[in-house]
Amino acid sequence: MSTITIPEIHAARNNQLPPLPGISTPWKTYELIAFRIAFIFFVAISIPNNAEWYSHVFHINWARLHYRDLYDIARFGSGINVFGNTIFGSPLYGYANWIITFLVSVVGGLIWTVIDSRRKNTPLEYNQLYYWLRVVVRYRAGIGIIGFGFTKLLPVQMPFPSLGLLNTNFGDFSAQKIYWLIIGIVPWYQVFAGIVEVTAGTLLFFRKTTTLGAALLVGALGDIVYVNFAYDGGVHVYSSYFVLLGSFLLVQDVPKLYRYWIKEEYTVPVYHFPVLSKSWQYARVALKTGVIVLFLGVLYYLQLVNYKYDPYKQPSTAGVRALRGNYRVTEFRINNKVIPYDPTDSIRWQRVTFEKWTSLTYTVNRATFIDLSNGGGDPMRDINRTFELTGTGGGQRVFHYYADSIDHVLYLQDKYKAIPDRRNRVAGVGGDQNYDLNAGRPLAKEGRKRDKDTSDRNWISKAAWAHIGDENHMIDKTVWTARRDREFAVPLKNEKRNRMVLQYETTDGSHVILKGVDEHKDSIYVVLDRINRPYQVKPSTLDAGKY
Amino acid sequence: MTTATYNPAHTPPASTGWKAYEKILFRFFFIYFLIQVLPLDWKFYRDLFAINWLHLQYADIFNIAHYTPSFFAGQTRFADWAIFSGIAAAGAVIWSYLDKKNQYSTNYDALYYWLRVLLRYRLAIALLAYGFIKFFPLQSPPPSLSNLNTPYGDFTEWKLFSLSLGIVPGYEAFLGLVEIIAAVLLLYRKTTTLGAFIVLAFTGNVFMSNLAYGGGETVYSFYLVLIALFLFAYDVPKLTNLLAFGRPTAPNNYRPSFTRPRLRYARLALKAFVVLFFGVIYGAQTYAAIHHDPYQYPAAPGLAGAQGLYNVREFRYNHQTLPYSDIDPIRWQDVVLEKWNTLSIRSNRPVVIDSTNVDSIHITDQDRTFELQGSAARHYYSYQADTVHQLLVLQNRNPHHRTEQWLLHYERPNDSTLILSGANQAKDSVYVVLDRVNKKYLLEEVTKKGRSKSIKL
Repeated sequence: MSTITIPEIHAARNNQLPPLPGISTPWKTYELIAFRIAFIFFVAISIPNNAEWYSHVFHINWARLHYRDLYDIARFGSGINVFGNTIFGSPLYGYANWIITFLVSVVGGLIWTVIDSRRKNTPLEYNQLYYWLRVVVRYRAGIGIIGFGFTKLLPVQMPFPSLGLLNTNFGDFSAQKIYWLIIGIVPWYQVFAGIVEVTAGTLLFFRKTTTLGAALLVGALGDIVYVNFAYDGGVHVYSSYFVLLGSFLLVQDVPKLYRYWIKEEYTVPVYHFPVLSKSWQYARVALKTGVIVLFLGVLYYLQLVNYKYDPYKQPSTAGVRALRGNYRVTEFRINNKVIPYDPTDSIRWQRVTFEKWTSLTYTVNRATFIDLSNGGGDPMRDINRTFELTGTGGGQRVFHYYADSIDHVLYLQDKYKAIPDRRNRVAGVGGDQNYDLNAGRPLAKEGRKRDKDTSDRNWISKAAWAHIGDENHMIDKTVWTARRDREFAVPLKNEKRNRMVLQYETTDGSHVILKGVDEHKDSIYVVLDRINRPYQVKPSTLDAGKY
Repeated sequence: MTTATYNPAHTPPASTGWKAYEKILFRFFFIYFLIQVLPLDWKFYRDLFAINWLHLQYADIFNIAHYTPSFFAGQTRFADWAIFSGIAAAGAVIWSYLDKKNQYSTNYDALYYWLRVLLRYRLAIALLAYGFIKFFPLQSPPPSLSNLNTPYGDFTEWKLFSLSLGIVPGYEAFLGLVEIIAAVLLLYRKTTTLGAFIVLAFTGNVFMSNLAYGGGETVYSFYLVLIALFLFAYDVPKLTNLLAFGRPTAPNNYRPSFTRPRLRYARLALKAFVVLFFGVIYGAQTYAAIHHDPYQYPAAPGLAGAQGLYNVREFRYNHQTLPYSDIDPIRWQDVVLEKWNTLSIRSNRPVVIDSTNVDSIHITDQDRTFELQGSAARHYYSYQADTVHQLLVLQNRNPHHRTEQWLLHYERPNDSTLILSGANQAKDSVYVVLDRVNKKYLLEEVTKKGRSKSIKL
């Protein structure tokens, strides 16, 4: 490999000027030292740092891909984490990993400087290294932001609010929830944001459009960093990550722009790029094509079918068709005692909704624990898709149900779980949405004894299961994937949940009677009448999922 | 390994040649932007002379900055733009004809320069006007108590957009700061392109938000985007040459000579005026406003010590007791008394929504209707309290329900109870017992404690 520089011949022709032979400015000592540190730093934060990521990539079933398989390739924790992720015990809002990585890079850079000073160095090596470092950062940032962007481009990252959320008072949401909802109510805007992100990422794949891509990336993600701090969104580290990578890519242009804009002088850019041999050239084209096909083509398709049949934050199984909508609680009996409607009563259910998927919500005037997570992640089972309850108070309870539609029984389980399952395993530190990890808290250990499932595992009879069917296959065949099979094959652990078994009676769904046993083993009898409740927030033409 | 470089001494002559089509395009845009930017609309002067200059308020400055010409009554529409385009096209044709006939030598470089100056200042003024009411978070205030007690789905998208920004004043200030920085960059020729780029990203997003959320400033925000596009386009070919193709690039270096001192002073005076009027005076007034009189909510204080959310424990309508109900259109469900003199009632009686969605700064309490804009589920009343006779005169604030009035006697047997009795304009009488609810809002609790603590609410 040898290096040539542009501007080359056509630039000279345009200007009718002969090129002057010469050498581009040699690297100054401080530039060299800074570069060595930057090299180690940016390589370290561009490479996955957790074993789970490698294991995940190795185990992908490429024949039956799930969008999350590719998403997980694109999104990983990085940086040097062998020294832990806290400084003096503080995670520094999740940025400690950056600082540790930087300190290690400084040490590494200085060692490199010492070694280098003992041999003859040529600046051109560094020009080449710089080029390749930019390639690594460009592709890391490009792939990462495209993975992030497609969940917006096909609007599933911020779902349209469920009926239960629409019925909740504004003050009963956390700030984080309010931000997610404000994007969720206008899917077309989310598409626009997705287009910006995917465009920025795509521009980074090409050298000539890198500046524009990096500027877009820094602008868009810089705003998202601020949003995450303001609304406590928890994705501040991951969004800052892209701002950092984008800023690094812009560094090269700053002197040129300064000269062109501020000093208003004739500006001659000097670029270095390696001249590749033919076989290397083929490898380059093949790699680039592979990345583009995979992350723009295949991922688009996978994300599209996810949007259509299995939006990842919404339960994807259709709810009982007759039972959908908003209901008023016309009558409520507990252990055969009628409780009249009173908004201050702490037992009586107030309003009830059946979502179009397998959820029942009701409101009761009693304090309840609130899941403050983002409600995202990668769970396959409907019960673990918790966007409809996270960050939401106001006494609203959300239950998932399995419906035995032959015997008309709903098997309900509280979607709130005190110690939620681990999500986004692959993401690690610095990955998005892993609030605990980024805040430096240890993850909830799985399989701890006290969390063991103490409830009756066979609360649903074999006969009822036969009527209910196999949840794994209740969604459209298009989105039956290896990943889904794998998760459904693993039995549930630590399922300590509130449960209810309720029989339902209805003809067309406008008048429903629920009777059975509630979470406290009290017998309840609830009469529901569907109400026509208009909303100002209008549903969009983009409607994720198939119910 | 060889490298090549260029000697800057070989700077090629600046290319000044205008191609024929460029000239035609320029003539069009020149006329078009003059129509849109210069205050040619008589309504501008009507408003200008209506201002009390001895008692200048930031609302007046905002209105000046918010000017756009329009043929039709009310807000500027895209139809206006079509008419401007027609005029500009006709003008460009005539101009081209004259240009050809007379060989009249127009200095296009100079015209382009001055048009850019005009547009830079026009854009900067607009950004400052919006920047300061965000930097001092006035535009989207924190949600009122009534807003906190309204179901999410009962707000319009645009109202939700504003409320969602209102809960994070720090972020709103940051957005304002971005606008102010962009404005400052536009005031300097050398940083204009960077400023225009920021405006494209920022105001482009504002435009998209207006479209998506049904905001009322779609046309205006696109107008600003259009100016920014025109300013940015100036540098695009050269930037592409420099940054994408990596070729040597000469800067755009036309600028008129300010050799005559009179010109220099005039330039300085104009610049100083813009900075003083739209920056310093306006900035100081918006700063005062955030501390003393934020413009979105009424200023008159409410009944002392009565602020809060109330459950309607007892409700008699025309002497008949109505039990709790979430479907009865008459029975009140809950009542909120704000810090200011607003009382809002939640009931199942439909609200015809006040769908105001344009930005304007209101001075009088009566016009400050932000709290009820885009909101169903609650009826909003302003009240006058006669604390001697313990009377409240309630007036529905919604223009669609303007006729509704109540005359209520109030009693406060203890700190948390409020008893209202009286009648409305239709002589329907009520007797209501209200209990103050010690309601904790998740929004506030989580903001206080953070998301890492578990919360039971």
